[in-house]
Amino acid sequence: MRLTLVGALTAAATAAPAAAFAVDYLSAEQAAQLIFPDADHFAPRDLNLDAAQLQAFAAQGVKARSARWTVRVAERGGQPLGYVVSDEVLGKFELISYAVGLGLDGAVKQVEILSYRESHGGEVRLPAWRRQFIGKTVASPLRVGDDIANISGATLSCTHLAEGVRRIVAVVDLAKKNGSLG
Amino acid sequence: MHARPASNIHARWLRRARPSLGTLVDIGADDADGAGAAAAIGAAFDRIAAVEARLSRFDPGSEIGRFNAAPAGARIAVDATTRSVLDAACALHEASDGLFDISLGSGARAWRCDAAGLHKLGADVRLDLGGIGKGFAVDAAVEALRARGIASGWVNAGGDLRVFGALTLPIDLRDEASGGVRRFATLGDGAFATSRLALGTARDRARPGHASVAAPRCLWADALTKIVIASGDAAHPLLARFGACAWLH
Repeated sequence: MRLTLVGALTAAATAAPAAAFAVDYLSAEQAAQLIFPDADHFAPRDLNLDAAQLQAFAAQGVKARSARWTVRVAERGGQPLGYVVSDEVLGKFELISYAVGLGLDGAVKQVEILSYRESHGGEVRLPAWRRQFIGKTVASPLRVGDDIANISGATLSCTHLAEGVRRIVAVVDLAKKNGSLG
Repeated sequence: MHARPASNIHARWLRRARPSLGTLVDIGADDADGAGAAAAIGAAFDRIAAVEARLSRFDPGSEIGRFNAAPAGARIAVDATTRSVLDAACALHEASDGLFDISLGSGARAWRCDAAGLHKLGADVRLDLGGIGKGFAVDAAVEALRARGIASGWVNAGGDLRVFGALTLPIDLRDEASGGVRRFATLGDGAFATSRLALGTARDRARPGHASVAAPRCLWADALTKIVIASGDAAHPLLARFGACAWLH
């Protein structure tokens, strides 16, 4: 084991401002190809949930959050293989974007994290803070993602991410039933 | 032959993350010679999922889930993976004079694991490998990467992490109160884990809220954070036995 301390855990050190942290893993397109390596085409299908559908989600205990969704249908030779939906969730300090791949039966096949961004304060709740990342992908990484540092801490729970995956399962289920993916 | 620019770190490390073990698992692998890092990372995630399927107390079909639901006198067949975690937990329980304990309910004497399986001796005993399982899963994922020929890389399960090979990895500690991270150490060929003190004790602002441990293996780093918290002693004698060091913060 090679351990070198470069920081201190004294009160003076922890009073200093903390840094933001960000990693870009995959673009939504790369994730779709990773989840469905055999696909030769991904056909986007836009979905607009109406008020009644949003209420039906709420009745199932699913927070629909958005009325507009895009489901990519993974295809090979024109035949559907499954679906990919990407979304993002907010944690206490972090913004996580992710992609969910589902089989034709609507069951989750794979979840890939696209990016992880940790704020250095409460900014994660500010729309202006989140807006700066719109359109950022692996092809245009942020400066903060350039080093490979890893975080250790005790609080990161993926409850909100699990909720997000359930939401996507419900959205795809609805889209299948009402023929939006045909 | 051509040289890679040393600063172009994205060209060398393939990095992926998935939700697993109730947190975010981040895996990086040296892809310098096109060594099949993508497939190796996939195999490492599969290995973690397999460990979780055996050890999670939240899964009623896991070996631990079935033990917890079983009546007194039951014997649950367990595979070598589960056996090795339970053996490590027993060794730590003894070495720490009971400070480390994976049993809830009627206590540490109400179960036993041997070659015949996992024996439930009391009706009320439940096992929870939350204090050691994540570290074990990280070690298992590192073995999966190495078995696929990955020379260097890391596995980080929400802060319980291990780095192997020539890589020296910067470790940042999350500010649990207000967000953000601070550089704390650099680590090569070893493991690092952080745990929070139980609710109630953390309300006392004069006391530290977290324990971090560096150790050669992640199973030991993870489990030793619990011993440091339970004892309140960042210089607990057990740390030296496992080649570990600890900080309360």
